[in-house]
Amino acid sequence: MKRLFQILPRPLLALALLGGFGLLRTPVEQGLRTRLVEANLLLPPPAQGALEQMGQSALMGTLGGLRPLVATYLTLEAFGHFSTKSWDSLRQTYQIITSLEPRDETHWTSVVWHLGINATANMETSQNLPAFERERRFREYAFQAIELAERGIAQIPDSVAIRIQLAEVYREKLKDDCAVARVYGELMDLPGAPGYSRRFHGYFLARCPGHEEEAYAHLMGLYREGEHQHLPTLIKEIKNLEEALAIPKEFRIPNPDPDLMRTAPGEAPASAPSQLQTLPGGIVVP
Amino acid sequence: MSDEAPPPNPEPDRATPAPAPGARPVPLFSFGRVATIASGTVTQLVRMKTFYFLLAFAAVVVAAGNFNLPATPAKELSMIKKVSFGTMDIFAWLFAIVATALLIPRDQEDRTLYTILSKPVRRIEYLLGKLGGVLVVVGVSLLAMYAICAVMIGAREALFVAAEVEAMTADGRYSDAEIAEQVGLIRQQGLRAELGIAVLASFFKAAVVAAVTIFLSTFASSSLFTIIVSILVFLIGHAHSMATSFWLHETNNSVFVQMLVKLIKILIPDFQLFSFSEGIVQGEPVVYALVWQMGAVTGAYLLVFLLLSLLVFVDKEF
Repeated sequence: MKRLFQILPRPLLALALLGGFGLLRTPVEQGLRTRLVEANLLLPPPAQGALEQMGQSALMGTLGGLRPLVATYLTLEAFGHFSTKSWDSLRQTYQIITSLEPRDETHWTSVVWHLGINATANMETSQNLPAFERERRFREYAFQAIELAERGIAQIPDSVAIRIQLAEVYREKLKDDCAVARVYGELMDLPGAPGYSRRFHGYFLARCPGHEEEAYAHLMGLYREGEHQHLPTLIKEIKNLEEALAIPKEFRIPNPDPDLMRTAPGEAPASAPSQLQTLPGGIVVP
Repeated sequence: MSDEAPPPNPEPDRATPAPAPGARPVPLFSFGRVATIASGTVTQLVRMKTFYFLLAFAAVVVAAGNFNLPATPAKELSMIKKVSFGTMDIFAWLFAIVATALLIPRDQEDRTLYTILSKPVRRIEYLLGKLGGVLVVVGVSLLAMYAICAVMIGAREALFVAAEVEAMTADGRYSDAEIAEQVGLIRQQGLRAELGIAVLASFFKAAVVAAVTIFLSTFASSSLFTIIVSILVFLIGHAHSMATSFWLHETNNSVFVQMLVKLIKILIPDFQLFSFSEGIVQGEPVVYALVWQMGAVTGAYLLVFLLLSLLVFVDKEF
């Protein structure tokens, strides 16, 4: 054995040892890789499209292990596109960013915010384009934001932040109350959902034609939880639904209509007058 | 020329002279000798003013902390962390390559190598000492970088939390629970104990890189060659898992490419596997069992590459 060790050329021995170790470690590493990816500690390889779209330096950086740095650099580049209102470039850049770091929720919320809120707002106010083109692009950007939000939700199914941003696009830009109610309905049971999401689901469901009864049941459920839920908007929405659904008087909530509690200028306040002060000119100070 | 006397053999490994009567026998392996060589290596690297790169790192961290993008505090903290830890990772592996590549040729140039090997020092002890020294310096550098980065993240986090609490309490509309929830979002991207594991991940990667480099430097003809080849090996090792599907797709699953990819995977370490700090930096919870397994894989790499280095170095004539 010792003689064989002395006869064999050392590079050949080294290569054999390297090859043997390689054969042993490859299946172990493959298993470890799968478990690390499942634990979200290691990022899966970026999508085919992302590698093709990348510039040479970004591609080299990504392949060379600088993936988070490339993503951060591209985020700065995207900010440049936002500053110059280059929305299509911004979308392309974020497509690469989200492919590089698909588990980073902030990338998804940023691109939905940029396209769904900023780009659409730009189309609403832009003076450079004819009205028809502005309207067409407005819808295009809004739908691109929705598509990206859905891709983000597919990547991070428990994401509350992406859904809130998506609901904002539906609410602020597309005025689609049914869609807003659906999105808040999805997010209200997720871990980390904000306290208002259950109320918002009810408010927007109440405005969705054909869902009044469902909204009434939901909001009444919240109302019955106690005083902490007796907020003016909730009471107002229940009162509106009581009217719309012709709920008998004995089943209606006893709270006064919050709108009727407001004082008209110059009038004495309807409730709790002792806590209010009227300044000269009829200005009421609580 | 032929009648010249053969030069004295300074290698104790190959022709150990019989110990003088009464002399203590030299142990086969001594941790003391390894530690001496390692401490000498640390001194050697410190004298090369290697720690000056911390200034560059601090500049990068300060720049990252002042991006001032229109982003939420959590996103801004996330960006600071990504840039800082990404830069830390680069510095660690680059430092491991350059420092390791310089050591053996420098010892040869300074002729300290001959002095060391003429003593009863085994070659494995020399290699282990050199690698140990480099790893100590890399570890200390990583800790120093982490400290700089922690100061920046901690300061920004405190600033963001204070501003957020002030804004939310001034409004008076938010309950304590809502404020705590918002602060929790910021803290999740702030300074957490788990970030230490991200530093450990960078250390594992740098350790494997150093072991590969020491192997290359045992047969390389110059430091420059070692540095260039080591960086190439690192890049290939980082890219092969990512580029494989892309390459196979581009060549319609060519058999030749499949064979080549397999060969590369067997011969070159998978450095991308050591990038598990990315998930930790993004706020994902750490699975400690996986960290232990990665530690074991790192240990296996160090052992095999040290053996490979010894295989080449043991018979090398100087």
